[in-house]
Amino acid sequence: MNLNRKISPGFNTIEKLTFPQYDCLINSNKQKIYSLCAGIEPVVRIELVFDAGVMKQKVTGESSYTASMLSEGTKSKSALALADALDYYGSYFQVKSNAEDLIATLYCLEKHVDNCLGYFMEAIISSIFPEKELEIIKKNAVQKLLVSNKKNSYLCRKNFYRNVLGPNHPLSAFPSKEDIQNINKEMLVSFYEKNIIGGFKYAIVSGNFSDNSLKSISLAIEKSGLHNSNIEQEKQQINSTKGQHFITKNESVQSSIRIGNISISRESEDFRKLQFLNLIFGGYFGSRLMKNIREDKGLTYGIYSVLEPYKDFGIWYIDCELNYKNRERGINEIWIELNRIKNEEISNEEIQSAKNYYLGSFLKSLDGPFSLADRLKIMVDYQLPDSYYPEFVTILNNTTSKDLIEIANKYYTENNMVKIIVGKE
Amino acid sequence: MIQYSEFTLSNGLHVIHHEDNSTQLCALNVLYKVGSRNENPSHTGFAHLFEHLMFGGSINIEEFDTELQKAGGESNAFTSNDITNYYITLPANNIETGFWLESDRMLSLNFNQKSLDVQKGVVIEEFKERYLNQPYGDLWLKILPLVYKVHPYNWPTIGKSIEHIEKTKLQDVKSFFENFYAASNAILVVAGNISLSETQRLCSKWFEPIPSRISNIPPYPQEPPQIEKRHLNVEADVPVDLLLKGYRMGGRLDTDYFACDLLSDVLGSGRSSRLFNALVKENSIFSEIDTYISGDTDSGLFLIEGKLQKGISFKEAENALDIQIKDLITNGIAENELTKVINKTETNILFGDVNILNRAMKLAFAKFLGDTELVNTEIESYRKVTAREMQETAKAMFIESNCSTIYYQAKNESK
Repeated sequence: MNLNRKISPGFNTIEKLTFPQYDCLINSNKQKIYSLCAGIEPVVRIELVFDAGVMKQKVTGESSYTASMLSEGTKSKSALALADALDYYGSYFQVKSNAEDLIATLYCLEKHVDNCLGYFMEAIISSIFPEKELEIIKKNAVQKLLVSNKKNSYLCRKNFYRNVLGPNHPLSAFPSKEDIQNINKEMLVSFYEKNIIGGFKYAIVSGNFSDNSLKSISLAIEKSGLHNSNIEQEKQQINSTKGQHFITKNESVQSSIRIGNISISRESEDFRKLQFLNLIFGGYFGSRLMKNIREDKGLTYGIYSVLEPYKDFGIWYIDCELNYKNRERGINEIWIELNRIKNEEISNEEIQSAKNYYLGSFLKSLDGPFSLADRLKIMVDYQLPDSYYPEFVTILNNTTSKDLIEIANKYYTENNMVKIIVGKE
Repeated sequence: MIQYSEFTLSNGLHVIHHEDNSTQLCALNVLYKVGSRNENPSHTGFAHLFEHLMFGGSINIEEFDTELQKAGGESNAFTSNDITNYYITLPANNIETGFWLESDRMLSLNFNQKSLDVQKGVVIEEFKERYLNQPYGDLWLKILPLVYKVHPYNWPTIGKSIEHIEKTKLQDVKSFFENFYAASNAILVVAGNISLSETQRLCSKWFEPIPSRISNIPPYPQEPPQIEKRHLNVEADVPVDLLLKGYRMGGRLDTDYFACDLLSDVLGSGRSSRLFNALVKENSIFSEIDTYISGDTDSGLFLIEGKLQKGISFKEAENALDIQIKDLITNGIAENELTKVINKTETNILFGDVNILNRAMKLAFAKFLGDTELVNTEIESYRKVTAREMQETAKAMFIESNCSTIYYQAKNESK
């Protein structure tokens, strides 16, 4: 048989994406429990989502320190007794503070749901914020901050948010040593009462679970005393300090670079097109930035552009670490690429390739219960219809190179860009 | 339970098939039995640099990634001390593109100076980003030569130094490929929504015609047991003192492996672990402490790493740690503590198996260790460990003459 290895064996394009079946159960306290049953392994993830994200905090650190303290003991159990109980059944308990919410998660095997659920709920609803544990967490956080301050990438990220959003924006609030020292039990308890006990948004259960497990979970939430959130989102002011900001770190062999601007929110009509443009520009291994600056010139280990959506706005940025000696050359190439994407039509082949890749990566993210649940969460948070992901196929099919130039000129605007460099002068 | 079938092609390529029709994806995983332990001590970091070159185009295909992306696929790779592992995921109906790409780069690469020069640059930046431009980034570069005097685990996969990466010649790349990237030195796993017969058909079409080559894997020295206490002081521009202790333990197939893994959970994994409670919470000796095993195929390392609280001396920290280890050796562990760490391990294994690509990688690695069925017997091996065995293992391992210690000290800035 003569095999021609020079030509591709051919491939199919993805013409249809389907989002699988999920349910939303509303218990008698009007609390919503979304459930997505998928996968074959007997594993379950339970997420309780609260209106207690960084955007809701009045004082720096409230959200993240409340998150840390939820595992530090309840009315009837010390931190160790609680950890012992949850660990005994091999489960993992995690609380994470995000920009727009706070999520308490339990990972466990289906056979242990009933064993773990009580402890998980207890940790959340009967937390007592002991002073001694808070002091230990604060002391250790100050040490961690010392280490973070030695990392260029941390300093770059912090200064980028401060300059792109303004120093008073909640997302710019990277706690300083003083902020950490000022955190006290009273303020955390008051945040907890209002934003956790009174800030329940919904739960998502994913994995391979039985109806009985789902019923137990729903019942546990019903009896918990958690109240549905009615917290209003205050609109936060954004005050960018445009232009270049240089942070000197003379001992560094590499410089951290972050360049970007305020962008649009997920609700904007252009959002999905801008997401696609970002993919082509710097969002995957085959992107313009990666191909030029890494794969053609070898100036960096990695360079990406990211579009981060929030409720009322978005942030777009380019991020990389460049060798100090190649820094100016690398930055210059970034500007060249920005110029190119705004002025030259993207070839059909490049658009097709990016489109196929994009849909393939969607397919991948719709695989497996947990990544599906992550997508479902986005749909719930932004009240998106079930057609949101399937619609991507049509949107991408209808996006032309002219649309992309127009989008690039509309949103990749240099006059509002913030540029942070951390490194040797 | 992961089900699979296996067959070997005439050129020696071993194939493992695992079908899962609940996914719309297929994964191809190719493991080459070469890692940094197969490198020449005077030319380290080469297996990893070579991994980068595998994406620089093959004999018939100019751009690996572009062709893969067109078909909606993604790929990546990693190099360890023992293996180099490449993986692709694709929509299941496009899996033939994966066969086309993977088989062509097993057939031969498009060796060219440009790709080599660019990837040297990329890897040097990776070296700096991960090992030099991070606080404590060179810890691994310091501990390995302290522990390994003759075995090639003496250096990390990134290499001993940037100079080693810089001096690579195109001829080195060619001979490395010829020798280590033979079909018979590889394991292919095809996993996902694909039948066995389709897998067989695609394997005979794309992989079977690759000519067989003989791999000559040079032997390397094994590390003799350590018989003296080793110590290194490092002073660097870091804000906090760090203590690292590495104890020699067995390799993946040695009898103490599972007991050691569970010991590391008892001591340092999670909020109910011993060291966290005794040394971070009850006594504020460390601000963070971790225990982990290196997981190498040959005799590996059991590591304890902690950052000291300000005002605590290295001696105080070591003494406090010793008390905990002595307690473990003298009093052993309780039954419920053992149940706990075994349950945790079971959770980790099952959550890991959710992902089709993880299952593919696990299959390949088990075969590399010598028995594909290890993917299913792993959990049993953990369950069989007894409290007594853990105590005995701890007693044999946690001895001073088996330990290498680093005091990674913060430079005093006030002077």
